[in-house]
Amino acid sequence: MRRVAVVGAGMTAFGEHFGLGIKELLPMAVSEMAAHVDKGLDRADIQAAWFGELTTVDGFPSGILVDSCGLLDIPVTRVENACATGNDAVRNATFAVASGAFDVVLVVGADKVRESSARATFWEWAGLTRDMAWDYPLGLVAPANFALHVARYLHESPATREHLAMVAVKNHRHAVPNPKAQLRYEITVEQALNAPIVVEPFGLYDCTPQSDGAAALLLVSEDVVDRYTDRPVWVRGVGLGLDRVMHQHKRDMTTFPPTVKAARAAYAMAGVGPADIDVAEVHDCFTGVELISYEDLGFTERFGAYKLIEDGTTTVGGSKPVNPSGGLKAKGHPPGATGVAQCVELFEQLRGEAANQVDSPRTALAHNIGGPTAVSAVTILSSDRG
Amino acid sequence: MVKLAGLGTYLPPWGSARGRALGPDEDALTLGVAAARAALTAAGLASSDGAADVETAAAVGVRRVVFVTRELPLLVGGNAAALLAGIGLAADVAVVEQVGGAPAVLDALAGAAPGTLVVAADAPQAGQPAGAAAALVGPDDTAGGVGVELVGRVVRSLPVHSLAVGEPAIRDYSDARLERERGVGVAVERLELAEKPVVAAGLAAKQAAALCAGSPPALPTLGASSALFAIAALHELGSGGVVLAAEQASVTAVRLDGPPAAAYRDEAGPVLPEKLSRTPGPDIAISLPAYERAFEVKLRWEGGRCDACGTLALPPRRRCLSCGSESGWTPAALPRTGEVYSAVTVRVPVPGLPTPYSLAIVELDGDVGVRALVKVTGVAAGTVQIGDRGRLVLRRVAVRSGVPDYGYAFFPDGSAAAAAGPAAAGTISEGAAR
Repeated sequence: MRRVAVVGAGMTAFGEHFGLGIKELLPMAVSEMAAHVDKGLDRADIQAAWFGELTTVDGFPSGILVDSCGLLDIPVTRVENACATGNDAVRNATFAVASGAFDVVLVVGADKVRESSARATFWEWAGLTRDMAWDYPLGLVAPANFALHVARYLHESPATREHLAMVAVKNHRHAVPNPKAQLRYEITVEQALNAPIVVEPFGLYDCTPQSDGAAALLLVSEDVVDRYTDRPVWVRGVGLGLDRVMHQHKRDMTTFPPTVKAARAAYAMAGVGPADIDVAEVHDCFTGVELISYEDLGFTERFGAYKLIEDGTTTVGGSKPVNPSGGLKAKGHPPGATGVAQCVELFEQLRGEAANQVDSPRTALAHNIGGPTAVSAVTILSSDRG
Repeated sequence: MVKLAGLGTYLPPWGSARGRALGPDEDALTLGVAAARAALTAAGLASSDGAADVETAAAVGVRRVVFVTRELPLLVGGNAAALLAGIGLAADVAVVEQVGGAPAVLDALAGAAPGTLVVAADAPQAGQPAGAAAALVGPDDTAGGVGVELVGRVVRSLPVHSLAVGEPAIRDYSDARLERERGVGVAVERLELAEKPVVAAGLAAKQAAALCAGSPPALPTLGASSALFAIAALHELGSGGVVLAAEQASVTAVRLDGPPAAAYRDEAGPVLPEKLSRTPGPDIAISLPAYERAFEVKLRWEGGRCDACGTLALPPRRRCLSCGSESGWTPAALPRTGEVYSAVTVRVPVPGLPTPYSLAIVELDGDVGVRALVKVTGVAAGTVQIGDRGRLVLRRVAVRSGVPDYGYAFFPDGSAAAAAGPAAAGTISEGAAR
């Protein structure tokens, strides 16, 4: 397989874009990506696209992408893999280039969560993720799906609600310098602990906001990379993992087996291990999910995650910074865009251009989990060609 | 003369000493199912933890269910299948869905053939007490069965409370003396009872006391179920005698030839009802194909047992969780008790659902290797803890586009709920030590 590089990255700000539809957000992200290709991009060079969108707004996703972005003559495949959609779109595009089928491809991720009334959103989204007869009527709001894991995790591990709050505090702080982030303000542990409870054990500040947004990447083969940049970021590894879909069939709810499987595949393909990761964007839709993911990604031993957040290891300035962008928690979470935007952030980090730059990283990891907890995608990027 | 083989009662856990209130996940059908299962337990046909009883009940011949209530959940669409599945009776048992009050229940009982289960439920809207009771009529030679015989019946009309089709709420003529004197008063006169009743159903305590010999026991409901609560109360009185059931201007009286055996009473509580908030929302969608495929096992609390290796799965599934066989599965009763593996409480308002509510993943007893994801019922949201024990009971999980969607919910044991504080502290420190 050929090596694959990221040579351009761009995204819209994440937020409640009531004034912008999906047909505006897509061209905004693609144009920003194109403007950031060091040696310029002629759109006619783009040979194919993979488009990650979890929901459908305003109609048929692939058609909307080519129509709104002036790409009518290329094939587009829509990717939908729950909240792992973004990194799975990256994975599919990577294989298409690595195989030799294409030299220049586009990856786009987008979602427009705030297009429905707040009242209708819950039942619409529950229909995407739940068995209609057995769990749909239970009222498993998104936080409840993850809270069932985190409640058990807090029961078995030494971590407490204070550790969840520390994750929220860290990611809010990280978002402050990021102009693309939705929640750019600091909070304290006390504020997080005293906030209204959404779903125990999650308070308001343990939860991602609802967001709209789009993000785009340009992936090219090693054969043509020099046409676009002298400072490429290499896609070194991609992985996808799955699990049983119903909560009652997950025997140990203190871990996410899809993450373990996705990370194993990505590390093996990249030829690196958890110790080689200098910076990571980890799926923190709810604070406790970031803690469990430290363990599933191999950053620490089982039930050791609380130490990493306690001692500052995962804060910017620590030895393994996690979510320098603010993460889903504070940057925002339009599901289809989320994984692609993680790679936008890591592209900038690895080129030393990030808004909240960490100290000279060489290898980075992006991670999504969703479905609600039945699929994970992991992407490993590096400034080293490998 | 019919012979009583078993009596069961159910009261919602919510309310006060003055009366019980319907839970947000209850209706006449779930109340009736709870009382019917209690009656089968009393008759020795079901264990309280709900071991498979379909075959047993069929073997002793429960051949007919008469369901009496004024709050039938579905007027079009039918309640019979949900009633049979929830009780655990075979799908070929006849069901009579009868609109009626306390006299109708005594009529149904006194005229019942052996093998009839009379189920009476009161699920009135706010302000009136809720509850249900059931009586099983056994064969004429039922061991220890007490005899019930019709004494008399007077059917008249004085609709001081009325609800016409299409009307949103009951109308009250609001003349208590008229109701007392020209309603029940005249009806009882015309009965020409040879002996005074020992208990009277369907009446306020003061009026009941005026009509009865001695001081009659207080009953928890006023509608259909009060007739069977009255019969159950004779056990505590230790006597037989005349039982009177009244509703507006009509009365029925029966006579028991001795005290009935103790009723199995499923009457936890009372605890003060929770303050729930309701957020308007769109209709909760339903897929009737999905409803139909799941219905029998979902309402009977059954899993699918793999025909190849015996592994139980909830819900049943084509491909076995354990051995991967796709050769088929057979419905198998699931244990109705278990322990909480994980639990959360939803406090954010959810459109269309009363909030807050707790959800739990329950590890079923008996090492069957099955967990269930269910709502928690019977205790205030947020009180259930990992490690708590309880039982699985039929509840109305949601109303979906006008259709009641029944399923099972976790009802924590009283002792466990009471000990929630210290138990939780104990389990947390245990977790930290690992």
